[in-house]
Amino acid sequence: VSAFLARVLARAALLGLAGLVPLSSQAGQTLDGVKARGALRCGVSEGIPGFSERDAAGRWDGIDVDFCRAVAAAALGDAEKVKFVPLKASERFPALQGNAIDLLLRETTWTLGREARLKVLFPAVLYFDAQALMVPAKAGVKALADLDGATICVEKGTTPERYLPDYFAARGLHFRALVLDSSAEVAEAFFTGRCRAYVSDASQLAAARLQAPGGAQAFVILPERIGKEPLGPVVRYGDDDWFTLVRWVLFALIAAEEVGVTRENAARLRDTAANPTLRRALGAGGGYGPALGVGEDWALKAIESVGNYGEMFERNITRVLDLDRGLNRLWTQGGLMYAPPFR
Amino acid sequence: VSNLQIYLSLGVFAAVILAIALDLIDMAVAALLGTCALIVFGVLGGEDAGPILGIAGGPLALLFGGMVAARTLATTGIFERIGDGFLRATGGSGKRFLLLLIALVAPVCAFLPNATTVILLAPIIIRVAVALEVDFVAPMILTAIISNSAGLLTLVGDPATFLVGSSIGMSFGQYLHTVSLGGLLSVLVLIPMLPVLFREVWRVRRPLPPVEPPKPIERPWFALLALGTLGVMVALFLVGEALPRPIGPPAAAIVGAALALLVVYEAKVEPVDAVLRDIDWKTLVFLASIFCLVQGITKTGLLQSLSLTLNAAFGNHLIAVALVLLVGIGALSSLLANIPVVAASLVMVKGYLVAAQAVPELGMAPGFSDWPAVTVPVFIAMMFGATLGGNGTLIGASANVVAAGICASQGRRVTFTDFLRYGLPVAAVQIAVSAFYVLVLSRLMH
Repeated sequence: VSAFLARVLARAALLGLAGLVPLSSQAGQTLDGVKARGALRCGVSEGIPGFSERDAAGRWDGIDVDFCRAVAAAALGDAEKVKFVPLKASERFPALQGNAIDLLLRETTWTLGREARLKVLFPAVLYFDAQALMVPAKAGVKALADLDGATICVEKGTTPERYLPDYFAARGLHFRALVLDSSAEVAEAFFTGRCRAYVSDASQLAAARLQAPGGAQAFVILPERIGKEPLGPVVRYGDDDWFTLVRWVLFALIAAEEVGVTRENAARLRDTAANPTLRRALGAGGGYGPALGVGEDWALKAIESVGNYGEMFERNITRVLDLDRGLNRLWTQGGLMYAPPFR
Repeated sequence: VSNLQIYLSLGVFAAVILAIALDLIDMAVAALLGTCALIVFGVLGGEDAGPILGIAGGPLALLFGGMVAARTLATTGIFERIGDGFLRATGGSGKRFLLLLIALVAPVCAFLPNATTVILLAPIIIRVAVALEVDFVAPMILTAIISNSAGLLTLVGDPATFLVGSSIGMSFGQYLHTVSLGGLLSVLVLIPMLPVLFREVWRVRRPLPPVEPPKPIERPWFALLALGTLGVMVALFLVGEALPRPIGPPAAAIVGAALALLVVYEAKVEPVDAVLRDIDWKTLVFLASIFCLVQGITKTGLLQSLSLTLNAAFGNHLIAVALVLLVGIGALSSLLANIPVVAASLVMVKGYLVAAQAVPELGMAPGFSDWPAVTVPVFIAMMFGATLGGNGTLIGASANVVAAGICASQGRRVTFTDFLRYGLPVAAVQIAVSAFYVLVLSRLMH
């Protein structure tokens, strides 16, 4: 009887009662909402240097923040029309699914599980990150092998908590994990010497060492990278128009760097560039703005507001976190940043 | 949806509810005008047709099927037979009549769609009430209230319980183990309220006329075939979804209605047009319009976006959240159709549990079933709120609207306040009992 009832219930669930739950949105709904509201609601962190952080005057900075401004510039013609919504990590998907934000940019890793099960979509990668280990500079640790038998601090529920044991075991190494509830607790434990190394995303380690006692120079991030952490913007499932706009704003910033369009020269190049495709892309007319539901000069507005991808990276990551571009270099320079053609 | 459209949706909905509550205008006309206003203001458009059909199609199909089946059976003489039996069982006592109503309606509604059951039982109930010389409005309202409450007895008793239960992977057996007792309490708590709320009926004692041999059924083959179509409908309600090509309850109701109309046509007892003319179209139009208005409210996303507010207000105090949901969803369900309320609330509740770190982020994924025991009372509170809240007002549940429509067709109009006099105290007491049940459950599952 229970098997029969289970079958009945499973069938009924598959038949679509679950489909009543409004997890997805309709095409164009998000952009329409942004336009009607006159502001983009962007979910960011509560404060991660280099990505999203408020300065003393209360103004938001960081690469995530810049990208929000670029999308607002493309959608609304004004990069300042953004309402930043600071979110804890656990709040980011409820905020997106609950329609409290239009766009999520909170150091969120693109994974199959999130797209397939959570029904959210990652239009592109904004920052190729990876997990790494940080150690005190004076400890003399040069590579992972030097940490055999060490105590390593790790945040509860994060990727390295699950994969670090396998990574060490595969190399015949051992370690003891000190698992703590939040990144703040992990950082405190590490900086007070309760563990020899701190494992997290390289960008997060770089941000943490900015606040380290003794200064950032007192700690080094080991060169080995563990796993992939492609970070990017996240949108709700089902709104293809919004997904496309967000994706192509990022591609516009990448393509701009590739062809030498900068914050300073973008407006001039729209009128004077010899390449008609470039002029069209910058809003000289005959472009794809109306098809995307925005103005012809959407790409120009985005570039003028935050600069091209390289400018954005330099301003937020290189200068703030002292991290090199690594995989975030353009494809023409050996990196992974590549934009499809604007035709 | 812009802020202006949000205000318009809420304003139009509030105006419709007020117009109905204050009896300023016919309720179907009020709801239809409200829907038109949302279309004119651009809140509702063509893109909403799909979501509205997705939510309204099932309940409307169930009602249409039930109405056709009941109308077909009305000319067979079967209702008279069953009604006479019921009347004898009451022994002329209003008290026994009301108690028997609970005993009859509750088990049926634990498995069959509530409003359809009300439609099918209404001719019998009205017949007994008339024979006992009591106003049939009170027994009809009680029938609607029992049917809504009995939806909690099993996982499949009400679309709202099923929606919540299936979304957290709760099995039929698990439901019986953790929720059904609370559902039973909600039904049983009606008994001590009967002498107070239904005093006029409760006190009645009438001598019954001497037993007469039952009148022979004039067209036994027609009656048998009409009963057969009802049997097909009920059988499909119970097992249709397990067939190789699944047939859900709404489709089962349409199949039953089509077969009933075929029987009417072939038997040539009366024209098919006459049966269709007697369908309570006004009730169907009213409910369809209400579903459109609810879509306007759902579209605002207000409910879905409350997950972070809940987290900010209550943190991980799940018991407090369960009680707030019980009362809040109960209040909302007393004015809105409970299916869309539950659908939107599920997004909110799952989002809250993820934000409060009671479950990992995959808790928001459809099909996630690894819910810690401590979170289950939150979902159970939603079920109670959604189901019992419907008892509060005339427009809280389709069974209430159907009961009022049947009364109107018999010459007794039921206003919003008429229903409120019975519904509000019942809903308040049931929600209070449910709160106690949820509290006990939370302690046990902690």
